[in-house]
Order: sequence, then C-alpha cells, then structure tokens
Amino acid sequence: MPTERPDPLSVLEAALAGCETDFVELRYHRKRSRAVAVEKGRLDTAQSSEHTGVGVRVLEQGTYGFASTPELEAGAVRSAIERARAAARASAAARRQRLSPLPPAPLVRGRFEGEGVAEAEGRDIGQVIDLALRLEARARAASSRIESASCRYAELLEEKAILTSDGARVHSQVVRPEFRVGAVAREAGELQRASRAVGVSGGWDCLFRRASPEQLAEEAARLAVERLAAGYPEGGRATVLLAPSLVGLLTHEAIGHTVEADFVTAGSVAAGKLGQRVASELITLCDSGHSEFAPGAGGSLAVDDEGVATERTVVIERGVLKSYLHSRESAARFGVRPTGNARAWEYQDEPLIRMRNTYIEPGQQSLEELIDGIEDGYLLDGAANGQADANGEFMFGTQQAYRIHRGRRGPLLRGVNLSGRAFEVLSSVDGVGSEFVWDLGSGHCGKGQPMKVDAGGPWLRCQVLLGGRQ
Amino acid sequence: MNSAAARAPARTPLEVQQRLRERCQAAVAAALGAGADEAEAYASQRDSREVALEKGDIQLARTQASAGLGLRVLVGGRLGFASTNQLESGSFGALARDAVALARQGPQDPHNRLPAGAQLAPRDALVDGQLWDLPIERCVELARTLLARARAIDARLSIDSGAVEASSHSVAVASSAGTLASESDSGLSASVFGMAVDGSDVGGFDHRGDWSRLAEGFEAQLERAVDLFGRTALGNLGARPARSYRGPVLLRPEALLSMLLGPLLGGLSALAVQRGRSPLAGKLGQAVAGPNVTLHDDPSDRELAGAGAFDREGVATARRTLVSAGRLETFLYNGYAAAVEGRRSTGHASGGTRSVPDIGLHALVMEPGEGGDEAELLGRLGQGLLVGRFSGTVDPASGDFSGVAKSARWVSGGRIQHASGETLLQGNAFEALRSILCLSSHSERLSGSLRLPWALVDGISVTAG
Repeated sequence: MPTERPDPLSVLEAALAGCETDFVELRYHRKRSRAVAVEKGRLDTAQSSEHTGVGVRVLEQGTYGFASTPELEAGAVRSAIERARAAARASAAARRQRLSPLPPAPLVRGRFEGEGVAEAEGRDIGQVIDLALRLEARARAASSRIESASCRYAELLEEKAILTSDGARVHSQVVRPEFRVGAVAREAGELQRASRAVGVSGGWDCLFRRASPEQLAEEAARLAVERLAAGYPEGGRATVLLAPSLVGLLTHEAIGHTVEADFVTAGSVAAGKLGQRVASELITLCDSGHSEFAPGAGGSLAVDDEGVATERTVVIERGVLKSYLHSRESAARFGVRPTGNARAWEYQDEPLIRMRNTYIEPGQQSLEELIDGIEDGYLLDGAANGQADANGEFMFGTQQAYRIHRGRRGPLLRGVNLSGRAFEVLSSVDGVGSEFVWDLGSGHCGKGQPMKVDAGGPWLRCQVLLGGRQ
Repeated sequence: MNSAAARAPARTPLEVQQRLRERCQAAVAAALGAGADEAEAYASQRDSREVALEKGDIQLARTQASAGLGLRVLVGGRLGFASTNQLESGSFGALARDAVALARQGPQDPHNRLPAGAQLAPRDALVDGQLWDLPIERCVELARTLLARARAIDARLSIDSGAVEASSHSVAVASSAGTLASESDSGLSASVFGMAVDGSDVGGFDHRGDWSRLAEGFEAQLERAVDLFGRTALGNLGARPARSYRGPVLLRPEALLSMLLGPLLGGLSALAVQRGRSPLAGKLGQAVAGPNVTLHDDPSDRELAGAGAFDREGVATARRTLVSAGRLETFLYNGYAAAVEGRRSTGHASGGTRSVPDIGLHALVMEPGEGGDEAELLGRLGQGLLVGRFSGTVDPASGDFSGVAKSARWVSGGRIQHASGETLLQGNAFEALRSILCLSSHSERLSGSLRLPWALVDGISVTAG
C-alpha cells in the first residue's frame, strides 16, 4: 500500500481551480480496515484492506450529478467532475422540481483528529490475533455445553478531506474499533446462541471501558448455556423495562428514521408534527455528532460529509417534537439550518441523511425503583436487529427476557421481538432511569449505504407488544 | 501511473477480463516474491450508470467505475489477506508485503491450502451487448417511465426512494495452484421503495424491484414491479390489528425466505457443520423439512443474477439438489472446508475482493407445489393471516423466529378482509418447514436472484396488538 500520499486538500484545491459550475463538492475518503476472526480455535481471517478515492458531487441545471475516481490526482478528479456534470445534464430535463442553489451554511474550515487514531495506526495486529484466539478459547472452555465459540475484531480507520466550491475545507480522521464474542451451546440436540459486542469511536481504553474482553467472552458463554433451559414469554401487550441497549434501538429505529428529513418529505409519520406532543414529558431525545453523557459513542464525527459542523440536535424536548435531521438540501427546503447529518459510507457514495449518536436523556430513577413499579411485566435486555416502518410501527429483537412479578425479577426467558407505534410507545413511558449507556456502536445501520452509528440512553419503562407464544 | 487520461480504458468484456487476469497474475507473483508459499488473487471491475430517485423525483444521476483486488497468501500454513482498489498503482509489492506480514503473525493450520486450479477461458456468455455500455440517458428514460407509472396508479402513492441502474461486471481469479478464470456479465435493475399516504393514514412500506440480464423487454418488467408496489402499498392503508391465534399462515415468497429458509440455508455450510453451529450436522440423508420441500442451487440458470461458471476460488460450479422431498442431499464446501474433510470443493466459495472466501449459494430455486394460485391458497387458508414480508429475528442455530408481519392481510372466508398492522409472528423455522401444508403451483423470481413459491404453513403463533 502507498506509504507517501500527497496532501489531499491540496490535490482537491488544484482540481477545483478554474472549475465553472454551480456547486462542486469534493470528498477524498481513505478507508483502512483491519479484521481478525477466530472460530473454534481456527483463525478464519487476518486481513487488511485500504480503499481510497475521491467522490465528486455537482449541482448543475437544478439537479445532482455524481462520479468518482480511485486516484488522488488533480487530473483524475477534474475528469470525475466533468463526468458528474455530464450525468447531471443528462437527467436535468427529466427532473420535475429543479433544486435551487444551496443557501449559505455554516461551513467548517479546519483539521480534526478523533481519539485513538495514533494508537490504531501503531497497533500490532499480532497482539489482536493473540487476543482473539485467547478469548475464543476462554468462551469455549466456559462450559462443557459450549459447542463452539467465535471472536471477531474489526477496526475502521477513516481519513477524509472535504472541499466545496462555497467554502468548506476540512480534514478529519477517526477510528472505530469493534469487538464481538459469540458462543453456541448444545444440549439434547438443541442449539442456543448468544453474543456480546462493543463498538466505539476511539481507542481500546474506551472500547473495553465497561467490560474487559474476558468478561465479554464469559458473559456470551454463560448466556448461551442459560438459554438452553429458558422458556418462552407469552405474546401480547405488556409493561416492559427496556435496558439501555434496547432504548438505543428504540430511539434509532422507532424515532430516528422517521425524523430524517428526506423520509419526512416522503410522508413519514413524523411529517407535520413539529411542535406537537409526541411523547411523555419524561422524554428528551437527541441526535448528536458528539458523545454526550459517556465517551466514545460509535457514530461520533466533528463535521459531516457536506462540510457542516455536527451539533446536538434536540429532536424531542420534554415530549414535544422540535426538529428533524437535515442535510443542506433538506434544510433549505424546510427553511432551517442544516444539522450536520449528511454522511456517505465510501468515496463512491453520495451523502445521505443519516443519524449519528441518538439517545434519550437520563432521568432520576434507579433500576430498583423502576422494577418495583411493575406489578406484572418483563425486563428486556440485549439488542438484536431492528427495523422501522413509515407509519411509525417498529420492531426490534431482544436476546433475553425476564418476567417481573410484583417487583421481583423471575428466571431467564428466551428473547423475543417487540413492536409498537413509536410515538404511542414513547407516550406510554412512565419511568426513566438515571444510568446512561451507549450500546449500539457495533454493527451498522442500513439505508442503501451502511453507516456506523450509536444509540443509547437510560433504563425505560413503557408499554409494548411482545411476540411470544400463543 | 497517475493519470486516468494516460490509460486507455479497456472496453469490451474480453478486454476487461484480460486486464483483470494480468492484474491477478501480477499480484500472485508479487506475493510469491514477498515470501508467500501460495497465493490467490481475485479481482473485479464494475461499471454502472444509475439514476437515483427520491421523494418521487429524480434526485441524482451517477456514472461509476470501481475495481478491487483481494490477495490471499499462505506462509507455512498461515493465512494472510489484503485488498485494495488501486489496481493501476504498479506491482502490488506493498499489498503483497502487507498480506505476508499478516500471515506470519497467525497460527499454522494444515487445512490452509488453495484448491486445485482450473484454467477456464474468458467468458462473455452472460453479457448483453446492449447493456454493456447502455448510456445513462436510457436509464433516465426508464426512471421517467417508473415515476410516471407510479403517479398514474394513485395520487396517494409516495415514492421515498428508488433507482434504475445498468451495470457491467467482470471478475477474474488466478492462483499459484494453477487457477486462471474470468467472466463478465451485465444487468439492468429497477427498484422502488415507498408507501401510500391518505390524510393521517400512513401505510406501511413496500419495496419492489426487478432485474434482467437483457435490455430488451425490461420496461414491461419495470411496469409490473411498479404495479405490484402500488397494489401492495395502497393495500397497506387502513391497517387494523388481526386476531391472535396459533395455526396456519400464508406466506408470500419474500416472507418464506426471510422467516423460514434462513436457518436451513445457513446450516448447509460445511464450515458451520465442522464448527458445531449447524443444526443440520449429522442429518445428511435424513428428513430436515416436509416432503413438499425440494431445493436446488442452479448457477446455470441465466435468468438468475447468481449465474456463473466458477466460484470465488475459480472452482467450476454446477446445478445441485440441496434438499429433495425434505431429505438433506448435500452440504456446501469451499476449498478450506473441503480440505478439513479431505474431499473436493463443491464450488460454493463466496464473497468479493474484500474478504477471504466464505461459503454461499449461487442461485436458489425452490420447486413449486400443487396448491394452486393466490385465490386457491386463500381459500385453503380460510381464516388467518397472509404475510407479505417478515421483519424480525431468526436464530440460525435454534431456528426460533420472532418478528412483525408486514404488508399483511387478514383473511376470512377465503378472501382478504383488511390490512393487518401491529401483528407479531413467533415459531421455529425447522418445525415450520415440516408443517408446510402446501406450496403454490407457481414460483416467483425475487429481485432476480432466486425463485420461490408461496407457502401455507401451520403452527405459527400470531399475536395481534
């Protein structure tokens, strides 16, 4: 791989010089990933990849054109600009509503380096391989009923340079490591699986701040074994206590997607509800480029891919819908300032409106107080996958459930999926815990392009629909 | 080489393949020069013209050319892998040194060896000459057709996003074990994603699309996809809770795939069996589904996007029966899994340029049954839930699933009564595959990549909100 690179901003400036079109956005994006995967004592991969290039977006004749080049060289970038212009011209006549020039925005000029970048550049992959082999073996040795275990470490190091014809000039670097341990338990021909995963923006001190790698391995193995004997919850409406990881999924899936301004324009359930009460007064929900309440949130970034500074966007304040999430284009359409939510996955992708770190602010109650208030319900923990619909109907999966009866926690039950209408569920909240956790930093959000995001919050008590057995 | 202008771009499929073959061979030579005992390079180039839709209008037009190369090296039975998108940047010396350095830090594994190589001549049998260089103006025309068709159906339809894309794709693989193979294909796809909005009633999402290897006749395919999108999205309006029960549900092909087939297909991987995470371990030749379930993998079906002559490791592919009348016929092997058992790969190495080969299917085909068409199947259901899509969690180890029924309809008296919202499904995929009451008499192609029928399945827990 190349070890000496030209200064990307200088190359982009040379390419942009003399370019005559309405608007040009150049984004150099170097993405280096390293990964180690171990399963049942075998090293499945030890890999390194680097994908680098420049994405070019132009606004010409009232529409966008996009092209890219893998070469960080002024001539190649100029050629991509011309291809993007040609693409825009080819489609302009077919566009019904031409875009107006983007209004001025608070564009950033500066250099930013996230926590842990230097540490990642110098990290010995041999140590990572040793750690993965050791922890997989530890999980497998935790019980005679553990049939198989796996461990995966992935690290994404991103360098970006953004230059726009109307003034943004940004260089940034960020590193996002993640770590996952899985275990499969077997008994009487039945298999049960469990995993623990963490992901952050930052260094390893941040990655393992809440649990050591050894603890993660042991917890995954213990949970897989416990699930062998677990029963199923009953299906139906229930009072539930959601762990912070599930509150993160709720904020991301049920609310976050419906307030992305492109989705609002298409008619999401949040359309037309600004200023209206959509949640309990106990709920303040934000999406931020920064890591409030606890360090290392996995979707942190200083500047978005349009050169706009990221901010803490208050989406719901004490139950009232206050803001959508915006790119420059959507902000112009709604007559507001952009919120710094335009993000692209690779240099070949155009920026889309995406979440960053989405959360509910902590409240006042302890976990014990929240459990005490439940006559009959469930405590749900361990985030699995999730999805949201246009009408606000969401679903997400949980890894484990516990019955709560008269304020006492019962034995482990198998995880179930839960569903509800986002604003109805948030309106049913009657208890908010004081402890705050980011817990959605591993994995990706999908919206055409993958994206690293995070989400979290405190323990939350509310009403949902559980998909148990009939 | 620094300037794109200085390089004459390869244009024909065979020219592109020749360049990729040379790049792969250069990477393998660099790896052996850097100290690898064995090396394999896999390269791809994809050129596309795309028109992206947003909010019911054209949002962005894009022309793209992307390439990548992944280099797998073995040093004393140790594995290393590196990938890059800089295919024109010289001799791959740095990439090879990276991969070899990674390999030297890992443990030895006696099964790390490359599959015996095959030499296959360049192939362009999957290329439509019209599509290879389809101008972006044609994609714009198709996008206009899509939008106009949707607008003509009903003003309540809202297109959140969509795309029309023409692409040409070539891959090559070369290894020190003698493998040398390359192939090109082309495709045209369209997709639409959105919902219907009627005042304060916002219907659930629907997503439709289609794909073709041929430019000719695609407009009609696109219009059929938009019509189905419109019908489904409008049908999602006015959703009410269904009724809770345990019993039969009727699954459209999308729901059958995501709710029931995942654990079975995942369990076919020989690696999953060897690692103790496949619920199919030890069941070769035994019944793993009902007698009405027969599944094939058919990479020779040109109408499916997964068609191809060789796999990620350059091993020739062939049509295989996976499950015959409910009985498990085979597991799937790549080179590594085959080496563990001292047998030959089945040609199921999967993946791209950015990772080491995994195991996967090429083109899944499930044989239809004798349950008739949609109306007949609704009659057989009588009363219960018709599920368009499944949005939920399926545990690949246990087969337990739990999730929401999407684009669902409540059926009574053998007829659709109303859209169903907030309805959760729960059950076990392996039990459900043994409880398929009947399959439709026809199958449908999903997004160009697989063919599945509808299925009437008993024993599912339905929880209504």
